[in-house]
Amino acid sequence: MKNPQALDQLVESLRCLPGVGPKSALRMAYHLLQRDRPGADRLANSIQNALQIVSHCQLCNNLSEQSICSLCSSDNRDTSLLCVVEMPTDLMMLEQTHSFQGLYFVLMGRLSPLDGIGPKEIHLEKLIRRAKDGTVREVILATNYTVEGEATAHYINELLSARGLRVSRIARGLPMGGEIENVDSGTLAQAIMERRSL
Amino acid sequence: MATLSHVFRQDNQQVFVLHTYPFKETSLVVELFSREHGRIAMVAKGARRPRSAMRGMLQSFQPLIGAWSGKLELKTLHSLEWGSGLLLLQGEALMCGFYLNELLLRLLPREDPHQALFDFYGQTLKTLSASFQHAPTLRRFELRLLQELGYAVPLVHDEQEDDIHPEKTYSYFAERGACSDHSGYANRNGVQLIGKTLQDMAQDDYSDPLTQLQSKQLMRMLLAYYLGDKPLHTRQLLIDLQQF
Ligand SMILES: [Zn+2]
Repeated sequence: MKNPQALDQLVESLRCLPGVGPKSALRMAYHLLQRDRPGADRLANSIQNALQIVSHCQLCNNLSEQSICSLCSSDNRDTSLLCVVEMPTDLMMLEQTHSFQGLYFVLMGRLSPLDGIGPKEIHLEKLIRRAKDGTVREVILATNYTVEGEATAHYINELLSARGLRVSRIARGLPMGGEIENVDSGTLAQAIMERRSL
Repeated sequence: MATLSHVFRQDNQQVFVLHTYPFKETSLVVELFSREHGRIAMVAKGARRPRSAMRGMLQSFQPLIGAWSGKLELKTLHSLEWGSGLLLLQGEALMCGFYLNELLLRLLPREDPHQALFDFYGQTLKTLSASFQHAPTLRRFELRLLQELGYAVPLVHDEQEDDIHPEKTYSYFAERGACSDHSGYANRNGVQLIGKTLQDMAQDDYSDPLTQLQSKQLMRMLLAYYLGDKPLHTRQLLIDLQQF
């Protein structure tokens, strides 16, 4: 049996979502067309709408409805500090700590040499422009402590240090309340290697 | 009839993670380099869930101990733990590590054990994490990789089986070796080098700047020959980064 062409198209379109294969795409399509047509209508409209009004903040590169997002245009932030994160969720996590008053730059990814994800995909040019605005005094690299996050931090440091900016890296080591007995040996080995004097 | 012996469980295996990529909603496919089994692919189920125990362990360039089962091409990874001696690759060394991994992913056939190469890879990572001059380390690995894969890289004799002469200029071709300038291959595009470069490489001596330069050109040509048309991502990334 052959599916209607529009159904095939919908299934194909749903597959652009991460982790959605042909089977789950077909299941979603049936659900939208059979069980929840109003929901499908809302989904279609909100995708259309979001596509039209959401784009990247000119300063921090995060998704925003304004050309400059509310965080970047706030008067209560320390404009001399710029914290670089991989993803918007990382920014949210840092915000929840209430311990950082500076501004952010969101790379929307990380260098991933083996996947061919390079400097263009993570907007390094935009970051350099942002960091060189004359107000930023220190750039804090808060990319992940994965091999890709480390490589990303290394190259951003090279690029920004060469332009006279002060660059720091968020610390790593034992977790809050961490007991040596229960910490994995990778974290522990790093904590020893990167110990600090008192 | 299927019996338990077909489960093919492997425990306590020395491995390195070469690469991972997303698989289904919450899993990863992991490309491992195993000492006993060579390059193998397996699924780490649920490894992309936030609280997955395996998540933090799936990092390249660390000696790990793994357990898996399955006899198909895609196996199931059960556990990973830290092996001996954590390695800290930073900066340039990290990018060199990615380069080694890309070479292994592109050139190592699946499920073909290369114990000596595995040991040499571990040693190379150790050297990268402890030194600042990475070029000789990379040349040694490239050469050893081709040799372990069974590709001849003759360094002591030329294609006529004559001893290499240190002061003579040769053209070097893949699958053929060093040709004297006046031989029939001289006008094809081989790598031009002097005999001393080959002798230095045979003796693992990369102290001469000319040897460093010519061995780099030689290995680049040979690797390009065996890699085929598809360029290396890691090399392209370094080129792109230099544009800033
Ligand atoms: Zn912003």
